[in-house]
Amino acid sequence: MLQLLELRERIKNFYQRYDAYLLPVVKFIFAFIAFQAINKEIGYDERLKSLPIILGISLLSAFTPSAVMVLLAAVISVLHVYFISPILSVMIIVILMILYLLFARYTPKYGYVLLAVPILFLLKIPYIIPILLGLISTPVAMIPTSCGVIIYFLFQIIKSAITMQVNISIEDIIQLYTHVIDSLTGNRQMIMTVVIFSLTIMVTYFIRKMSFDYAFEISILAGGLTGILGFLISYLILNQSKQILSMILGTIVSIALVYIIHFFKLTLDYSGVEYAQFEDDVYYYYVKAVPKVTVTVPQVNVKHINVKSTERREFSDPDVDEAEDYGYDE
Amino acid sequence: MLNFKKIRLMTKLAVYEKKDGKEDIYLSKYYKADYVRLQVLKSIITATIGYGLIIALIVFYRMEYLIKNAVTLDYKLLGTYVLGFYIMTITVFGLGALILYSMKYDASRKKLSRYFRLLKRLEKVYNESSHDS
Repeated sequence: MLQLLELRERIKNFYQRYDAYLLPVVKFIFAFIAFQAINKEIGYDERLKSLPIILGISLLSAFTPSAVMVLLAAVISVLHVYFISPILSVMIIVILMILYLLFARYTPKYGYVLLAVPILFLLKIPYIIPILLGLISTPVAMIPTSCGVIIYFLFQIIKSAITMQVNISIEDIIQLYTHVIDSLTGNRQMIMTVVIFSLTIMVTYFIRKMSFDYAFEISILAGGLTGILGFLISYLILNQSKQILSMILGTIVSIALVYIIHFFKLTLDYSGVEYAQFEDDVYYYYVKAVPKVTVTVPQVNVKHINVKSTERREFSDPDVDEAEDYGYDE
Repeated sequence: MLNFKKIRLMTKLAVYEKKDGKEDIYLSKYYKADYVRLQVLKSIITATIGYGLIIALIVFYRMEYLIKNAVTLDYKLLGTYVLGFYIMTITVFGLGALILYSMKYDASRKKLSRYFRLLKRLEKVYNESSHDS
């Protein structure tokens, strides 16, 4: 634990120093993973799959606000589908627009959730999102999470619909369309996932808000348990017991990941060095404002040294010169 | 000579202006009623477009049925349904936007008051320094 705290301190210092460069790098990695996942899942257009293009758009999204990354991902997904079936791509655009106009536009801060939920679904750990959002935000996050879930299932349906498209007569189009709408509105698994994720966010949020010791840690566990129980019930109702094992494993991994994020949250939340520019009548100022480091963690480090030395004192032989024991070699 | 008290104040102000302040200062250009009204109007317009798209999806879904029964359909009843649901939708979205954006405006006002306090203090420092010189 102490080593971990030291590690956290070190990461905090590192983050503070290289904040300006670190953020684009992290965003670049996220964007790269996201675009790769999209290409792997619905990569029909070979041109968009080439590495230079992926690297280019990942770079672009590294230096622009997160909304641009979400938009780029949507555009690329639609283009992939357009390559196979223009009709389906129009449907995707219409449904995405409905989701945006009616719901997602009210939570602009959580735009990245719309992208993160489908991507994490592909990585088999979507359970991380509701727990994490319950931990760091408010129940409002239910809206983008639900939209993300719907988007994931929409693309799953599109994937299955693409295989059944043969030719382009009017009847075929209507049949295709009916199939997509039927499987979207009649998708009980999707509705249950939306409900369970919303419940998880609520449970995590309200337990985190309670005032007892370890409320944060307990809320993570409670959120995870809510997810496991909910999905267990839904899989048993839907007769999909095959997925139970991967769901439980995924939830456990998600809980662990959320715990790690929570542990470093102080670090990541920490606003790094600020650069400000302003002027008055006489000077131009280029100010670098460095936040003062908090005191709590250094205190722990001090304790660590004391414990170590008292232990040594207890076991040392009174006849021996203690100077050697006190770690001058360190 | 450098006035460090002033620099400290200006740094705080500049950092705020760069980050959270951007939106707060933008909001402060509106009166509350104007801002909320504009946002409610925007919500109603987007909700209308969204509702229209949903209706279009439903119509396309029921195309076959609609064409088959084009003559015998009770258009009056259909229109009432569409209109009724539309009124319900925009009421919900309009009221929701009213509550949401009033809360947002009030919250940003609270943050702004600290900014204005700092600005006032800066003005004081300015006046003092100009008296000295």
